[in-house]
Amino acid sequence: MIKLENVTKVYKGENVALRDATLGIDKGEFVFLVGASGSGKSTFIRLLNREEVPEHGTIYVAGKDIGTLGRWKVPYLRRNIGYIFQDFKLLPNKTVAENVAFALEVIGKPRHVIKKQVPAILELVGLSEKIANFPSELSGGEQQRVSIARAFVNRPLILLADEPTGNLDPQTSVGIMRLLDRINRTGTTVVMATHDQGIVDTMRRRVIELDRGVIVRDQARGVYE
Amino acid sequence: MAISPVYALRETGQNLWRNFMLSMATVITIGVSLWLFGGFFLFNYAVDNATQRWEGGIEFVVWMNPEATSEQNANILDAIMTSPEIQDYTFVDQDAAYEEFKDIFSDTPELVEVVTPEVMPPSYRVVPVDPDADVVAELAGQFEGRPGVKTVVSANDTIRDIQDLADEVSTVFLAGSLVLLAAATLLILTNIVSAIRNRGREIEIMKVVGATNWFIRIPFMLEGIMQALLGAVFAWGGLYVIDQRVIGRFSQPDSLELMAGFQVESDELIFTGGLVLGIALAVSVIGSSIAVTRYLDT
Repeated sequence: MIKLENVTKVYKGENVALRDATLGIDKGEFVFLVGASGSGKSTFIRLLNREEVPEHGTIYVAGKDIGTLGRWKVPYLRRNIGYIFQDFKLLPNKTVAENVAFALEVIGKPRHVIKKQVPAILELVGLSEKIANFPSELSGGEQQRVSIARAFVNRPLILLADEPTGNLDPQTSVGIMRLLDRINRTGTTVVMATHDQGIVDTMRRRVIELDRGVIVRDQARGVYE
Repeated sequence: MAISPVYALRETGQNLWRNFMLSMATVITIGVSLWLFGGFFLFNYAVDNATQRWEGGIEFVVWMNPEATSEQNANILDAIMTSPEIQDYTFVDQDAAYEEFKDIFSDTPELVEVVTPEVMPPSYRVVPVDPDADVVAELAGQFEGRPGVKTVVSANDTIRDIQDLADEVSTVFLAGSLVLLAAATLLILTNIVSAIRNRGREIEIMKVVGATNWFIRIPFMLEGIMQALLGAVFAWGGLYVIDQRVIGRFSQPDSLELMAGFQVESDELIFTGGLVLGIALAVSVIGSSIAVTRYLDT
């Protein structure tokens, strides 16, 4: 599903964010990216979404070399990749349903599809009762569920999550992880950057550890350290 | 998948509403600049129509009696052709005079109806070698009172003054409108940049979920186009007022004889309206294109 071959990303000032990274992630895998702040986790995720382009190396997503994609094809790549933010990034002037529908609306999905898919995904994330609420009326955990619903409503092949539990308390984080695990069981590949040792140690999934841009560990059913 | 018109219009409407004050300032600036621009054209049309018989260096017109004999006509023609002080002339026969009359008074059909080519006086429109007013007056005087001549009319200093004034006023109108159009373009650009910044999070989400560049850009471009179209409507209203209340006043029967024909034909009015619309669209497309390509990094 995802393949990196000798990928290097350097920011201005010779700051190496990812150095000569080579790895593969299969369809349906759940992968934790761990490492200290500045180790390259977010860059890794941004490269998969083509928000960044590597200086060297090749990245394949769903069999396609995304480095050679024309600018106009990038949006179509992103329709196969859901993205979950640490700070949710919900639109405050839209309701829960409208926030989720927005993701379908802006890729041109017809209204009847939106009407069908939005309630279904909100039921999946356990927010059927909050459909008409605004983000300011929700708890942090509920807001993150809306964010997950928005990322998954188009049924992407891959879900990228950048510290999705970073702003949540441990108990709420467990709920979010259960939800991501449930989504993963539908066959969706999940790549999640995290600092949360408890979650990584509890779930025992594949762990890729980065240190100053270098992959220093790639362990199946791994732990945080 | 194509952008839904409902979505595009809703987003455009929301953008306009969120930036209401700036949008209104933009619409008014576009309207005033287009009004001035269109006013420049209408004023020029009106002056051209009023002074068309005096264009091309023609300084005086020898009007013949419609009943003048061919011998009388031949004598006048001979005098014009042999005069060393006359550089050129044009003979306007009765049919051509009638056409010109119909043209000038096209907005007064009741007047045109009672006139026929037979009652129209033919004329010689004379271009003297020296356009000096005294020379022209002396030369025109040579034809006054000759057999077959009804009257001789000179392009007096007043008409020349009107033409000069019209040129200056037009230049000021044009310069002012161009400056305002540039300001309007910048205002559209600023307005859209402001809208882009206000909607930073929405744009970020749109990019992440896979909205195409055009899907993101179109509502912003439509915003600029809508402002320009509203400005054009505002300008049309202003041009209608110029045509009916200002130019129309001069062409009324009780106005100065000198201003006879100072009017704008309906096809000229339509052309000016279309031009104003075209300029509005051009200004909006330029302003909004710069905004979305420079400030909307998709």
